[in-house]
Formats: sequence, C-alpha cells, structure tokens
Amino acid sequence: MAILKIENLTKRFGGLTAIKAFDLEIEQGQIVGLIGPNGAGKTTLFNAITGVYPCEDGEIVFSGQSLKRIKPHLACELGIGRTFQVAKPFGGSTVLYNVMVGSFCRVNDRRKAERKASEVLEFVGLWPKRNTLGKSLTIADRKRLEVARALATEPQLLLLDEVMAGLNPKETEEAIALVREISRKGITLLIIEHVMQVIMSLSDKIAVIHHGEKIAEGVPAEVAQDEKVIKAYLGDEYVFSSSEGN
Amino acid sequence: MNGLGRTWCWIASPKHYIGLFLVLLLLAFPLVVTSSFYIQIMIMVLFFAYLSSCWNIISGYAGQLSIGQAVFLMVGAYTSSLLFSNLGLSPWIGMLIGGLLAVVLGLLIGYPTFRLRGAYFAIATIVWAEGLRKIVENTEYIGGLKIGGAEGLTIPLIHHSLANYQFVNKTYYYYIMLGLMLLIIYLTYRIDRSKLGYYLSAVREDEDAARALGVDVRKYKLMAMAISAFFTALAGTFYAQLLLYIEPVDIGGIALSIEMLLIGVIGGRGTIIGPIVGAFLLVPCKELVRTYTGTTYIGAHLVFYGAIMVAVILFFPQGLERPFRRCYLGLARWLGQTERAEDEGR
Repeated sequence: MAILKIENLTKRFGGLTAIKAFDLEIEQGQIVGLIGPNGAGKTTLFNAITGVYPCEDGEIVFSGQSLKRIKPHLACELGIGRTFQVAKPFGGSTVLYNVMVGSFCRVNDRRKAERKASEVLEFVGLWPKRNTLGKSLTIADRKRLEVARALATEPQLLLLDEVMAGLNPKETEEAIALVREISRKGITLLIIEHVMQVIMSLSDKIAVIHHGEKIAEGVPAEVAQDEKVIKAYLGDEYVFSSSEGN
Repeated sequence: MNGLGRTWCWIASPKHYIGLFLVLLLLAFPLVVTSSFYIQIMIMVLFFAYLSSCWNIISGYAGQLSIGQAVFLMVGAYTSSLLFSNLGLSPWIGMLIGGLLAVVLGLLIGYPTFRLRGAYFAIATIVWAEGLRKIVENTEYIGGLKIGGAEGLTIPLIHHSLANYQFVNKTYYYYIMLGLMLLIIYLTYRIDRSKLGYYLSAVREDEDAARALGVDVRKYKLMAMAISAFFTALAGTFYAQLLLYIEPVDIGGIALSIEMLLIGVIGGRGTIIGPIVGAFLLVPCKELVRTYTGTTYIGAHLVFYGAIMVAVILFFPQGLERPFRRCYLGLARWLGQTERAEDEGR
C-alpha cells in the first residue's frame, strides 16, 4: 500500500508555476530518490508535503489522510519528519537539547524525552558530542543532527533534503550507511540528493523533476538512460552528439 | 531513605544550601534593617526582579521582544483598584481578575502580532501599550465609573488588614513581594525544565525548524504571553496597594517597560536567575543615584543604566547571570571540598 500518494499537485508563486501536475506514489518501506536540476522544484515539493505552502490543485494523501490543508507541526505529529537543505540547528543549545525538542513531539515527560533523545543520538553516532552547542558543529555533524532531530519525532516517512551535500567522501559513506540503517528500521524515505552515485545506489525508485514537472520515474538504471533526463541535466547538444556518436 | 533524610541530604549539598542561605538573608532583612528607606529600596529591587522575570518568559525564553509590558501592570493596577474602591472587593480577588484581563489583552495583542518577527513585534507591543495608556490618560469616566484620566486614581485607605491588602508597615509589603518573587523563580525553574521551556527555546532559535519538529509555534508563543501577562498584572495590584495612588504615565508608561527589559538583558535573558541578578545589581544603584542626584539631574539614573549596559555588552554579552553562576558554583565546589577535607581529618 502506498504510504504517500501525490496526485496532480500544482503550486504557483504568483505567475510562476513551481510544481505542475505532479504525481508520485511511495510504497511503505521504500527509499525514493528525487532528483532534478537546481530550481526544479524539489524543495518546494517537500514544503508542499509538510504543509509549509498550501497548494492550489491536486491532492497529497499520507496513510489515508489528506495533507492538503495541514499545518507543518501537524504533519510532524502525523509522522512526517523532514530535514532542511540548509541545516537549522538551535545554535545556542546543546546537541542533546536539540534532539529532545524533537522527542517532545511524542512524550511530555522530560526524563522520557531525554531517554528517547539519547537513543537516537547513539543511533546516529552523535552521542559523544551530546554536550556540544549546535552552532559549533561541523557541516557533517549539523546534517547528522538534522536527521537525529527528525528521527526523534518518530516519523513513518522521512524527507531528507540534501543531507550529503558538502560532505567529504568518507562522511558521505557514513551518511549512506546511516540512511540504510534508517530504512532497515522500517522508515520510508524520500531523498533529495545531487550526488548521483549516492542516489543511484540507495534508491528503489527515482523520480526526476524539471521545471516543476515530473519527466521520468523508474528504477535507477532506467532513469539514468532516459533521454529526457540527460537533456535536462546536460542540455540538448549532449543528447544530439551522443546519438550521433552511436 | 525516609522523606526527612532525603530533605536533609538535599539541604546538605552546598549547591542548595547557599541558595537557601540567600533566601534566609532576604527573609531576615527587615528584621535587621528597620530603616523604611532601605526597606523601600529592597521592595523596589524585588518588584523589578519579579517584573523582569515575567518579561523574561515572553522575551527571554520565547524570544519575542516585548517593550510594552507596563500595559499589563496598568491593567492589573486599575482593575483591582476600581473593584476595590467601587465595590469594596478585596484586592486579592481583584488581583486575580486583573490577571485574567491581562491574559485576554495579551492574547489580543499576541494573536495578530505574532505573525510579525523581530523588531516588528517589538514595535507592535510599544504601539499597543502606548495607545492604551493614552486612552486611559484621556478618559475621566467610563459610564459612571471614574477612572481619573491623567490625574490618576487614589485608592481609599481603609485600615490595616490583610483582606484590604493595606498595612501600616512597609515590612508586610516587603514579604508579599518576596513571596511573589520566589514564586516566579520557582515557576521559571519549572518552565525551564519542561516541554514548554524546550519548545519556547526552539521557537526563539528557529521557528521553521521548531515547526518541522511538531511545535505549534503560535500556540506556544501565546502561552508564554499569557503567563507573562498574568503575573505582570499581579504586580500592578501590588504597586497600587503599596502607593495607594496610580497614574497612567507612572504605571503604564514606556519607561517602566524599558526598565524591565534593561534589567532582563543585563541580567541574562532566557535564564532562570538572570533577571534577579540584574535587579539586585541595578535597582539599588539606581535608587541611590536617584537619591543623591534626584532633584538636580533628573534622569541621571538612566545615564547610569546606559553605562552599565555598555559595559555588560562588552564584557558579558550573555548577561551577568554567567559570572554570577560561575562564582556560585565555584563557591559550592570550594565548600564541598572543605567539608570533605574535614570529614577525612576526623
């Protein structure tokens, strides 16, 4: 059964159509990659799913519930976690404090929240840095903290917005392992990523968005061969010359 | 371990008994110092410590800079005073009604203005507070009810009684204010340790991130506003009963709002004890400066505030709570060590 179903979704900012008649279905437990050139509408789609922007047309259904008019904090309560492309740690607070804010989504007691947050920090490997202030973390750790905070809200669906951008190869590898671990826990993942090897190796399915429209969808190998995708990323000449070469 | 034993263990830790000792000092102050001049100064210290702590909940914890807190003070003072002089209702009950009215006003101010961020919210609070003060200042009567306009309102002196919130001796007022201040410290402590406190900090640091983690930002801002407004209004009744005379410019003016803010910022916003530290340092200095320069240089204490503010921003940008806490914990550690050394020596 599809845990998230997006049908005919359209989002306009004044005269600009950021997302046009977008469809996507995500099955429970899948890892779905969302790729597309800069400004294609990937983050806008995340914002639409989590209720940051209301959408004009179409429907988003999460576990049988419509998300069309939902507020961001209610989306989180329903079980949709997200990270931000530019990490937004609570800079003046410790890592543990940051994650506890997330775990308070499910519990009211401070001790329970602390226990939950500690488990999550252990899981993502930030436990040794629990007393570090959010603002003194490295980029890699900030991204990790974003994931930890979102995990602490106990999501069923987790939206990761470029958690691997700006990481070095070793950090990227660790991040991939973490995503796999999260998936093994049964959490469904929708991932925006620019690093192609990462998205190709992780995803069960990839959707490609360009100028707000979905131009391709399928298993990684299929999508990588798709002419429209190559065009969108590299321009018309590339497709032309490559077909000429054949 | 039984309850008594546990209490004893709690007290026996230096971290706790230094605090208790400070509270005892405050309790004993009027017994040792009988000069009503100094008691009056101490009442003002406690009064501002309390008000600044109330401000700290909305502006320190929730990070919504309010420069209109005096309006709640005015609402509290006028509500209980009018109920007392017209209906003979005990100010203690009037105080609670004033508190609730302040909550309503706080929500009315907060609901539309919490969409605004940063300086815009601060400006909105000034506009609300100054607007309402002007209205009160220019209204002699509402229906048949005399509210006195700019001349203010005199509260009838009945006689010394707890029910009338009127006492022959300033010491009583001192203890009431001390009680209120300890109450707000305890309340802040509870907020700091609860989901509410975590959520308010999250809202202060990044609203979008807080929302994504399930925080209903508007609701929690309104809660902080309601708590802050309610307790600020209680101090309004206190002030009215202490002076038995209130006038809008004195109790609802922007000068008072700014003073709460300065004390909070200098003491350390978003900390439990910051506003208390700020008030204990600034208010006595202010009162003394005012006493000695009062008639010749009106407003000299504000220059003095400015100078301290600059020094604090330069040396302790997080507020004076930091160095205070460092000294406090250092002392506790030192006492703990000497105790252990004595035990081993025996």
